[in-house]
Amino acid sequence: MTALLDTPARVTGRTPRSTSRGGTAGKVAGYTLLIVLSLAVMIPFAWMLSSSLKQNNQVFTVPIQWIPTELRWENYAEIWDRIPLWTYLGNSMILSVSVTALQVLTGSFAAYGFAKVRFPGRDALFLAYIATIAVPWQAYMVPQYIIMQKLGLVDTHLSLILLQAFGAFGVFLMRQFYLTIPDELSEAARLDGLSEYGIWARVILPLSKPALASLALLTFVNTWNDYMGPFIYLTSNDLWTVQIGLRAFVGLYDAEYAMIMTGSVISVVPILTVFLLGQRYFVRGIATSGLK
Amino acid sequence: MTRHLMKGVAAVAALLMVTTACGGGSDEARKTADGKDILSISVWNYEQTPEFKALFDAFEADNPTIDIQPVDILADDYSDKVTTMLAGGDKTDVLTMKNVTDYARYGTRGQLTDLTETVNGLPKDSYLGLDAFDLDGKYYALPYRQDFWVLYYNKKLVGDADLSNLTWAEYAALAKSKTNGDGAEKVYGSYQHVWRSVVQAIAASQTGGDQLGGDYAWMTDQYTMTLDLEKAGAIMPWGTANSQKVTYDSQFSTGKAALLPMGAWYSARLIADKAAGKHDVDWGVAPLPQTAKGAGVKTFGSPTAFAVNKNARNAAAAKTFVEWASGEKGATAVAKIGIYPSFTNDAVLAAYAGVAGMPTDDVAKKAFAPDSVMLEMPVSDKSSDVDQILKEEHELIMSGEKTIPDGIKEMGDRVKNEVG
Amino acid sequence: MTVLTSTARKRRRTTLIGWSFILPNFIGFAALTLVPVVAALALSFMEWDSYSSPEWVGLANFERMWNNANFWVALKNTCFYALGHIPLTLVAALGFAMLLNRPLRGVGLFRTALFFPYVTSLVAVAVVWNMLFSPDLGPINQFLRAIGIDNPPGWTTSSDWSMAAVVLTSVWRDMGYYMVLYLAGLQTIPPELYEAAKVDGAGAWARFRNITLPSLRPTTFFVVIMLTISSFKVFDLVQVMTEGGPGRSTLVLSQLIFREGITQGRFGYSSAISMVLFVIVLLVTLIQFRIQQRSER
Repeated sequence: MTALLDTPARVTGRTPRSTSRGGTAGKVAGYTLLIVLSLAVMIPFAWMLSSSLKQNNQVFTVPIQWIPTELRWENYAEIWDRIPLWTYLGNSMILSVSVTALQVLTGSFAAYGFAKVRFPGRDALFLAYIATIAVPWQAYMVPQYIIMQKLGLVDTHLSLILLQAFGAFGVFLMRQFYLTIPDELSEAARLDGLSEYGIWARVILPLSKPALASLALLTFVNTWNDYMGPFIYLTSNDLWTVQIGLRAFVGLYDAEYAMIMTGSVISVVPILTVFLLGQRYFVRGIATSGLK
Repeated sequence: MTRHLMKGVAAVAALLMVTTACGGGSDEARKTADGKDILSISVWNYEQTPEFKALFDAFEADNPTIDIQPVDILADDYSDKVTTMLAGGDKTDVLTMKNVTDYARYGTRGQLTDLTETVNGLPKDSYLGLDAFDLDGKYYALPYRQDFWVLYYNKKLVGDADLSNLTWAEYAALAKSKTNGDGAEKVYGSYQHVWRSVVQAIAASQTGGDQLGGDYAWMTDQYTMTLDLEKAGAIMPWGTANSQKVTYDSQFSTGKAALLPMGAWYSARLIADKAAGKHDVDWGVAPLPQTAKGAGVKTFGSPTAFAVNKNARNAAAAKTFVEWASGEKGATAVAKIGIYPSFTNDAVLAAYAGVAGMPTDDVAKKAFAPDSVMLEMPVSDKSSDVDQILKEEHELIMSGEKTIPDGIKEMGDRVKNEVG
Repeated sequence: MTVLTSTARKRRRTTLIGWSFILPNFIGFAALTLVPVVAALALSFMEWDSYSSPEWVGLANFERMWNNANFWVALKNTCFYALGHIPLTLVAALGFAMLLNRPLRGVGLFRTALFFPYVTSLVAVAVVWNMLFSPDLGPINQFLRAIGIDNPPGWTTSSDWSMAAVVLTSVWRDMGYYMVLYLAGLQTIPPELYEAAKVDGAGAWARFRNITLPSLRPTTFFVVIMLTISSFKVFDLVQVMTEGGPGRSTLVLSQLIFREGITQGRFGYSSAISMVLFVIVLLVTLIQFRIQQRSER
């Protein structure tokens, strides 16, 4: 991680305005605070990293041993032999990418209906969407499984893609964002002769990059880290995701935590890459700033 | 009006649930390309649990017309998945029963095939733990493995103390005398894992107390001994072990604890890890300490079993397998890899003792031949509710929030009021 | 007359258009989420062991719930968790989003660092936080003693403080997640508004109150509802960190739902408990909805 922090920082957004007061001292203090804070929130991750370099029976020691007595880099080689990690990573990737793509697409599409088109029953339907998020999956897991079983989709990736791609989360998030886009924009486009679909595609979508980015990020991460869904629906080993694959190190009476942590560190890398790339879209859309 | 509506919804939901029992794939037994019968068996952590492979390989060698296909499920949430699968009308032929409580649930719901006739034809005396599967005179599963608790010890740390016939008082004195060091260097006289069974099931098996009974005064002595050890610093404080998720392996195999009451399953792990160079502890096995001398070795444990799914595609082959695995041949196959089987006779025990690295001294022999093995938790429809209450109150006693008498009284009150 | 029919036709047209937008998502949603959810809610009036056919029992499950100590303990704990988790996470997430919405060097790395807690393995979270909270030697209590608190709390080893420890850990874990949503929300505020306010001589606090907060209202609506829902459904963190203990001090509703349903096979009863969760969240959502509609006017 230190290596990552040492790389020359990239300037995001606009160039810093010269601060009027405080000057360099304030800046240094601010950065120091941010760096300390960032490192502090990462302490548990440091434990993960350190455990991933230990022998299994050294992981849970009292008091915590932050620096392993011997660094077992072999863990990172061994894990590929112990479990088919490439297959699992690939499966996680397939699921996360398809779910994210579908969720972003259908979610932002439906959100337009909820935010910009007025029709009777709209708000009631929207409430139904939100209400389903309120029911814990523990409660409807079995009925859902039964439906999937009837559809013959159990033990396929398709079952999980279908389950997670059409959740209410994306619809809700995008609707809230669309509400902040002034109606005058779509009115103007309507006068220009654009259909509602045209307005969605040409006006609204380009404006909602930050929201699309956050939806994509969060959906990707949640799908990647999901455990119970893949666990219940996927039985064949060659369909397993990383999260199930790593749990295979938990036995009936004990667990190989060093291997689990090694695998967890590896599985965090793709997420962080996606995050680091995706957060670049958190910059002001040029069109909105030009408005009003 | 609303009631009618609700009933309507209910009827639809009911229909949805029921019709599924017949959904999902054909009922015919499947065959492999070269004509063998396919037998699917649900297992946990196939790669990390060598007993399954050992059993399956031996069975296939014995029955060349059957091809076993394991259905691999994670150990952690095994029963949750099996429950869900069965709700969806799953057709896996053989289901491994991870514990007796789940078994009782599947059995009473009618999800397993009745095996009573088969059981009646068996030499029941040769089986450990078979009684646990008796549900009102009917059997729906046959055990192939029986774990029970013993006392592990680190030969270097314990020295030449005689462990063949300890009482708990002697165990406590020994643990105190073998404790030394400080901070990260501290070596505890013993490690008692955070599970409630370490106190409660041990007490139940040796005092005859009933864990479902609602009166728990018989746990007092075992709690007093444990908390006294903790106060003396001879075992790791329960709060630390619990919140830091300490594993017993990390204490025993690194030489941080001299003694360890634990299940017989741990020997297989110790042997395998030592062979792989992961630890170099010179360890031994002794009988679990007893409440009183001269009453024989009383311990507790739980059996693991195979059952035939009522919806099995290949019920005949499934029955053959379940009977085979629990019998002498299956027992030999698991004994050879250091797992204690349910069925034992001299040949099987010899195979178990013959495992390279297994302690074979007289103390170990005594430990591996207990006089009585009580079920870890008696089977009843109240077992899991009571189990939860006992676990919660165990935490409160061990973390020092409640005194022993208060905690024990609360257990009784809650079991009487909340379960029933 | 013609005017009327044309408005009617127009309304039908908009309705069709509205549905056409919603439909692609709705089909999947209805078949795979709505139906099972409705089935689960219907089950709360039945008894079902997941195998035999369900049996209509009327309100028996609710009666049982009313008389069950576990339910009340879990409800109280869950509410306590929600009351702590919702406001603290909201403030932390918004604060960090504001802090990291500036053109700073390496801001991407800082944002990523704050997102780390959300992707850190739960076992690591549980072990490290339990160590930080350790009553005698943990850094948190050492700090508290240093500033003069002689009898600092026992945190996860004490029934009185364990839920507070869980709340703090969950705020730390979730703030990065909600920060992402706020970061997206902040981008919708036109910078001209700030420039104008500056010209009018509005201070930083006034700008925050009069521009940032009102402009973020749709985002806050979303964040509050998602936070409410996730607080009332909290499961994983509690399961790994305290398993509901010590005793029942951190037992939450979804643990009870899981235990009664999947583990014990009392699906009717577990659905009844879910129904309570559902109603609570629905009420909170409706109130939020009203507030939002009022402020829109």
